[in-house]
Amino acid sequence: MSVFLLQRLGQAFVAIFGVMTLVFFIQRLTGDPTYLLVPETATQADIEAMRRSLGLDQPLVLQYVSYLWDMLRFDFGTSYVQNIPVTEIIASRLPYTLQLAAGALFVAFVVGLPVGLAMAIWRKHPVTNVLMGMVLGAQSLPTFWSGILMIMIFGVWLGWLPPSGSGSFAHLIMPSIALGLLSMATYARIARSSILDEMSKDYVRSARARGVGTGRLVGKHLIRNSLIPVISISALEISQLLAGAVIVETVFAWPGLGQLTVQSVQSRDFVVVQGIVLLGAFVTISVNLLADILYSVVDPRIRKGGRA
Amino acid sequence: MNTTKRVARFALPIALSLGVAMFALTPAIAKDLLTVDLVNEPSSLDPHQQWNPDSYYVYRNIFDNMVTRDDAGQIVSQIATKWERTSDTDTVFTIRDDVMFHDGTLLTPEDVVYSVDRITNPDFGSPQLGQFNKIIKAEATGENEVTLTTDGAYPALLAQLVKLSIVPKHIASTMTSAEFNEAPVGSGPYVFESWDRGVSVTVTRNEDYWGDKGPFESVVFRGVPDAATRVADLQAGAADLVVTLNTDLAQQVESGGKGKVLTVNTERVAYFAMNSARPPLDQPDLRKAIGHAIDREAIVEGLLGGYPQIVDQMLSPAHFGWADGIKGYAYEPEKARELIAGLNVAPDMELGLATSPVFDQRVVQAIQQMLTDVGLNVAINTTDMATWLKDQQTTPEQAPMLTFSRWSCACQDPDGIMYPLLHSSSNWSRVNDPEIDALLDEARSELDETRRAELYAQINRMALEDADILPLYQAAIIYGAADNLEWQPTSNESLFLNRMSWAE
Repeated sequence: MSVFLLQRLGQAFVAIFGVMTLVFFIQRLTGDPTYLLVPETATQADIEAMRRSLGLDQPLVLQYVSYLWDMLRFDFGTSYVQNIPVTEIIASRLPYTLQLAAGALFVAFVVGLPVGLAMAIWRKHPVTNVLMGMVLGAQSLPTFWSGILMIMIFGVWLGWLPPSGSGSFAHLIMPSIALGLLSMATYARIARSSILDEMSKDYVRSARARGVGTGRLVGKHLIRNSLIPVISISALEISQLLAGAVIVETVFAWPGLGQLTVQSVQSRDFVVVQGIVLLGAFVTISVNLLADILYSVVDPRIRKGGRA
Repeated sequence: MNTTKRVARFALPIALSLGVAMFALTPAIAKDLLTVDLVNEPSSLDPHQQWNPDSYYVYRNIFDNMVTRDDAGQIVSQIATKWERTSDTDTVFTIRDDVMFHDGTLLTPEDVVYSVDRITNPDFGSPQLGQFNKIIKAEATGENEVTLTTDGAYPALLAQLVKLSIVPKHIASTMTSAEFNEAPVGSGPYVFESWDRGVSVTVTRNEDYWGDKGPFESVVFRGVPDAATRVADLQAGAADLVVTLNTDLAQQVESGGKGKVLTVNTERVAYFAMNSARPPLDQPDLRKAIGHAIDREAIVEGLLGGYPQIVDQMLSPAHFGWADGIKGYAYEPEKARELIAGLNVAPDMELGLATSPVFDQRVVQAIQQMLTDVGLNVAINTTDMATWLKDQQTTPEQAPMLTFSRWSCACQDPDGIMYPLLHSSSNWSRVNDPEIDALLDEARSELDETRRAELYAQINRMALEDADILPLYQAAIIYGAADNLEWQPTSNESLFLNRMSWAE
């Protein structure tokens, strides 16, 4: 177990270093923030002065070395645009991203898993066709459209929910649904196929033969055994959600990391983008690490050195 | 009042969580709170730092400026009550003696001097440095007197000082810009209260303001990036004023029965630049043909909802020096085709039209189509804004062949728009005409206003004659407002809260 963990940690370190290097160079090769910061009437001298004050006049290699050195000391720098430390900016946005991710996951789990289960158990029942249609719909609706539609219906016409913004539980409802729909569909499909898969296995048949009722069978055996694929998907879904939901956050004016990412990329605020990408990499890697550990808890075969 | 507010603050989230419908409408009903939807939160509230609209919409209410413009666009007194030019380079300003900063300290000439020194100090790194660096000295020369010295005669000085926010020396000099940004103290009609990062900035009325007090007890500025969402907020009553709508959304507001459209023509001039340093655009007749090929009326009426105004000079009526009677190129596609037929333009010669998503792509594509109609081969090259800006600010040989853009110097002075776009020494200029250069240089330091206006009219006529650059229209800005909000937007795109009111 500990060798396995150490290996994974080593891989994680290499991955983060790779991400750090990539994000540094990609940004600098695709544009210069100076031009966005100075007024149009700035002279060449003004532009040079601004570039000097941002440290962008240094050779790229020197910039890279000082960047790595700063990262090693956990100094993530100061935003070019807002002129405040990146850690402060990200820390102010992170709680919103966490709330939204939790809300979306809640929608996805609480709706997706039972729907998947129902579709597997009542495989030939007409209800399944209806549910299947709903899942397909949820999966196909682009969020910029479903989001605006919800805003129009519940925010403007019915006036039940605040159309956008943050600050209360009511504000969280629509963005969570908009964001959770896609994951919900994923969970429903994965749960369905995974349970169907299990249901065709021998142990299920013999359990039925022994007279175990459907409720007990599902609750005691099927769900647990079908969880492995659900956990793998969760690792992906959670890391995606935590990196911020760009479109949903923009549509609902939800002040999370996704919105910040778009703004920072557009304004070439390198330092902030670096911070967000590093955080995203860190989260993705940790969640995957966690998923690996979880597998071994759920499935002893993995813990005992079997194949994952 | 305080108790009501506290109760409201406490009750609002709870009511909302219960899904009680009417509470979503609270901000529009509570007349003492105004909610403004900006595109993004401000970048900075240090007025000597960022100067993008989302920032100055907010901080121009927290700080007073040296002078300001009234609703008619005239420069009028604010912190400076009087000014007198004592020589070509020196101007003496009389400073109000009854202005208090929000911390209760008197605003003195020293604060004015400090504000000028701060924004013009290259080490401070203000993005606005280029707007103020003609001021080489600021000095308190009397009890209520400040003398500004410019590098040579500088007729646009007052137009620039409209944007000079006065910061308190005793506070700003003791902290970094980042610290001042977090707790800005000014002397304006609204006092900074709180900044919920990424969410909103709240300001409250300055009850001791020396001038017109604000009509709202407090004002919340929120960042709402999606324009359709801003309209939904307005229609749901969750916002009272929303900025930056396009014509489609303006129509939606007008037909929605709730909220109204407020619009004004800004000082932004849309233009079409043709790079005469790169063949075949070095042929004046080709540039004239392009002038005749572009149907500005179709663009303004058909695409832009009729809001903008067509202009025939590189100025707008909001600028000093607007001259009557200058006529540009009329839409005559036949004439354009004839001109092109007589020229040396290879049919497969591709003319690149540089653009970025920031610009209205409907206009860019319409222009491409209009030029294709007269037999030119135009390719649209889209890049991100940073790259677009970099590509523009280079030598004419390397710059794009064709460019559609909009220009504002945020000063309503012709020097701020014509010098950068027409003078051969400017990075942006695609024009190289020694005569125009000489006239621009002369106008830049001509203190006699009549003579100065004549010079700009002459430059505009010359630029049209050779079709050096094509003025298109004066761009409009569209706001959405609650039905009972009274406000006259101005060309300089500021949201001065103390010039708004509720209709009773």
